[in-house]
Amino acid sequence: MKKLKLFNLITVSLFVLLIVCLTAAFLIIPDRDFSEEENRKLSQVPKFTLEKLADGTFSDQITKYIEDQFPMRDLFVELKGYSELALGKGENNGVLLGRDGQLAVRLFDAYKSRLERIEDTDLYSEENIIAGIEALNRFSESCELPVVTLIPPRSVDVACSAVDYPSEISDSIRDTIASNISEKAGYIDLFGEMRGRFDAGEYVYMRTDHHWTSYGAYLAYCEVMRSFGMEDEIIPAENFTVEGVKDFYGTTWSKAGFRFVGPDTLELWSLGNEDEFETSCYSVIQSYSEDGSAVKEKKAYKSFSSWLNRDYLDQKDKYAAFLDGTHNEQTVFMKGGSGREKLLVVKDSFANSLVQFLAQHFDLVIINLANKVSDVTSYADEYGCSRILFVYNVANLIETSNLSAIK
Amino acid sequence: MVFSSLIFIFFFLNLTLGLYYMIPKRIWRNCVLFVMSLIFYGWGEPVYILVMIFSVTSAFLLGFFISKYRESNIKLSRLFLIISVCVSLALLFFFKYFNFVAENLMLLTGQNGGLVIEGLKLPIGISFYTFQIMSYSIDLYRGDANLQKNYVSFGTYVTLFPQLIAGPIVRYKDVDAQLNGRTESVALFASGVRRFITGMSKKVLIGDGAAAVYEYFKSASGVSNTVAGAWMIMLCFTIHIYYDFSGYSDMAIGLGRMFGFRFLENFDYPYISTTISEFWRRWHISLGTWFREYVYIPLGGNRNGKLKQLRNLAIVWLLTGFWHGANWNYIIWGVYYGIILIAEKMFLGALIEKLPRILRHVYTLFLVGVGWIIFSFTDAGAGFDCFRALFGSGCDSFTTATVTYQILRALPLMIVAILGCTPLPKKLWDRLCTVDWTAEGKLDSRGKPVERSDGGCPSSAAGWVFSGIGTAGSLFLFVLSVAYLVNSSFSPFLYFIF
Repeated sequence: MKKLKLFNLITVSLFVLLIVCLTAAFLIIPDRDFSEEENRKLSQVPKFTLEKLADGTFSDQITKYIEDQFPMRDLFVELKGYSELALGKGENNGVLLGRDGQLAVRLFDAYKSRLERIEDTDLYSEENIIAGIEALNRFSESCELPVVTLIPPRSVDVACSAVDYPSEISDSIRDTIASNISEKAGYIDLFGEMRGRFDAGEYVYMRTDHHWTSYGAYLAYCEVMRSFGMEDEIIPAENFTVEGVKDFYGTTWSKAGFRFVGPDTLELWSLGNEDEFETSCYSVIQSYSEDGSAVKEKKAYKSFSSWLNRDYLDQKDKYAAFLDGTHNEQTVFMKGGSGREKLLVVKDSFANSLVQFLAQHFDLVIINLANKVSDVTSYADEYGCSRILFVYNVANLIETSNLSAIK
Repeated sequence: MVFSSLIFIFFFLNLTLGLYYMIPKRIWRNCVLFVMSLIFYGWGEPVYILVMIFSVTSAFLLGFFISKYRESNIKLSRLFLIISVCVSLALLFFFKYFNFVAENLMLLTGQNGGLVIEGLKLPIGISFYTFQIMSYSIDLYRGDANLQKNYVSFGTYVTLFPQLIAGPIVRYKDVDAQLNGRTESVALFASGVRRFITGMSKKVLIGDGAAAVYEYFKSASGVSNTVAGAWMIMLCFTIHIYYDFSGYSDMAIGLGRMFGFRFLENFDYPYISTTISEFWRRWHISLGTWFREYVYIPLGGNRNGKLKQLRNLAIVWLLTGFWHGANWNYIIWGVYYGIILIAEKMFLGALIEKLPRILRHVYTLFLVGVGWIIFSFTDAGAGFDCFRALFGSGCDSFTTATVTYQILRALPLMIVAILGCTPLPKKLWDRLCTVDWTAEGKLDSRGKPVERSDGGCPSSAAGWVFSGIGTAGSLFLFVLSVAYLVNSSFSPFLYFIF
């Protein structure tokens, strides 16, 4: 019986040691603000109030805080990733692990009720797609300017051949968009082209990020130019010099927890004339004049040469180098006033890497399609734009209702 | 607070164990448990600590009267028992059933509004601890238990955090002696640790995984009705609720052992049953025992003829269903089991017995599965649609590519889960650990290796290795479960309705 006692003692001491050490580590190690690995802000110690304690939000926030600041969090995330693989799930946190390290998010954010999030769903609301498309139809039919629309597919819609996940959902999304969109919206269906190129082994979408590559963006740019009837002005790919920024681990990689998957290379395409451009970011500040009426004033709070903020290239979120990440309202103009045609780009982040091509032809007015933007026409009028380009990817089309609010 | 959370394991449990073992005296140790249990209880809903203290105090005080008059004036004693039970049931009724009854009354009378109390939240675990409190009063009245004169000890019994929110429902007479006379030991603590880890792995690694698949198919059923999907709903919920609930009981039993308590078992491989009667002897044993002891037998049980017995069964199963939640589907679920159990008592049981064993399993599992469909759909109409879909009625197709993908993806987990529902893995493991490998291949008369009689004690090199692997494996499962909690994606909590 002595030996049995020994194992009991070992079990108890290891268990106690484990929980005490992890707790001690949690208390000793300073909290992090940001997770480079996961590319997101981490929860901080919640403020204690009696109301929050009484309605239970305090305990929810504490739970989130402990999860985020847990010692060796990255290791635990990785361990779960391996475990899910070992269970033969072939995915973790809704991210598929495809051939050659191709990662692809297959799930949508969906909510059962306001608070209860269903993580594990690949269901989407067809009505939401149609609502967005119909708003776009209404807009483009009443708008006098030529409109072109890109709805970039997600990695999972493109990399079908690399994953075991069936393409029927992608296909039905594609059909829903194509069959509802009006001709005036100038919709360019990229599903087929991107899939074809991907299958041919071309590097059109990142493996570790949800965005397309600069080459993928170039292909989209060519389509846009064709739609605008400016086919002759397309700059051939071979005219660009391509700078490869290595070791780019994107957002999908962070979410997946498959730490063994290797990095992407972020490509910067250049004609060597970036210094002739300037990017400015604007915000509207509301103040009150002396007679008490509200005055809205638009102010540039940040300006930089070209469309790149190279500081980001040394950080994890390298894609944010394009246009300095997400800003509500930006312009990319040629310095000194070129008098070039102005293009209004209403977009999500997929457009950020398109800018390196479009800026060569147009002065760009770039509006991030977030929940407070609706009056697209006013931007076109304000800047005197002569064309409008929508870039809004499939995931956003399904998960948000921003597009359906435009007018 | 729930057991399968980081805050419980790394803050609450740490602190409670530390305080508990730093204090030598029993009564102060109970004090630690009482106070910490109240904190545990109040974590999400601090207001309901007051409800809890009221329940505890009233039952505690009324206990004195029940006990005092028991010898001299049994009628008076009974009166106090009735008061005590009524207080408990009134609280349970108010918090759990009032709005349900009000809504249905409004439907019946065509009234709009007025009756329903907005924002009335169910105090977590009220169904469990109310039953525990009642068991004290009744045991006391019956003379099965001694009067508890110490408020802290009684408070500890009711609020004891391991079993507070999801059982097992501990009868007072089962822990009476343990409240003030238990002995903690390394062996008990170690078995508690192993049991806790087993329970946590069951809940976090398998239960939550099955729940995610279940949720997926349940939310998908509206969009693409498939036969395969309906079967997956049934299978996954069957797995989910067993692993979740029995995992929770395992954790409770394990935690109890860490503090020197020995709770009775709550689950005994229910899914290997060959009849529904057997299933209910193996599923949520403490609840079945409670209803038998405090409802079925007092009503007369099977002593007053067949007809009365059937009536008693009907009452018990109606209540059992209703106990699980204030909604029609739980009542239907209770009635469903009531009917099957009555049928088994009358004729079905004898019929089933003649079937081959495998068919008896199929019979039981299918009925249990259908039961879970009723249980899991609070909207009875949707539940019926799911049931119909099992046989292809109202379905668009047998399966779709995406549904097949989901099934294949879940398959390995399902296989592990199904094996884990049987005693097979435990049997195999016990054999590996206890077989005397050095006995030079000694075989018994049936040709099997000789098992050691001292049970669990490794005596050979191989035995050492297996015990070592067992310890390491158990701790690995713990670390893995923690990883799932740190990177949590989906962890439902079933007991909000109870």
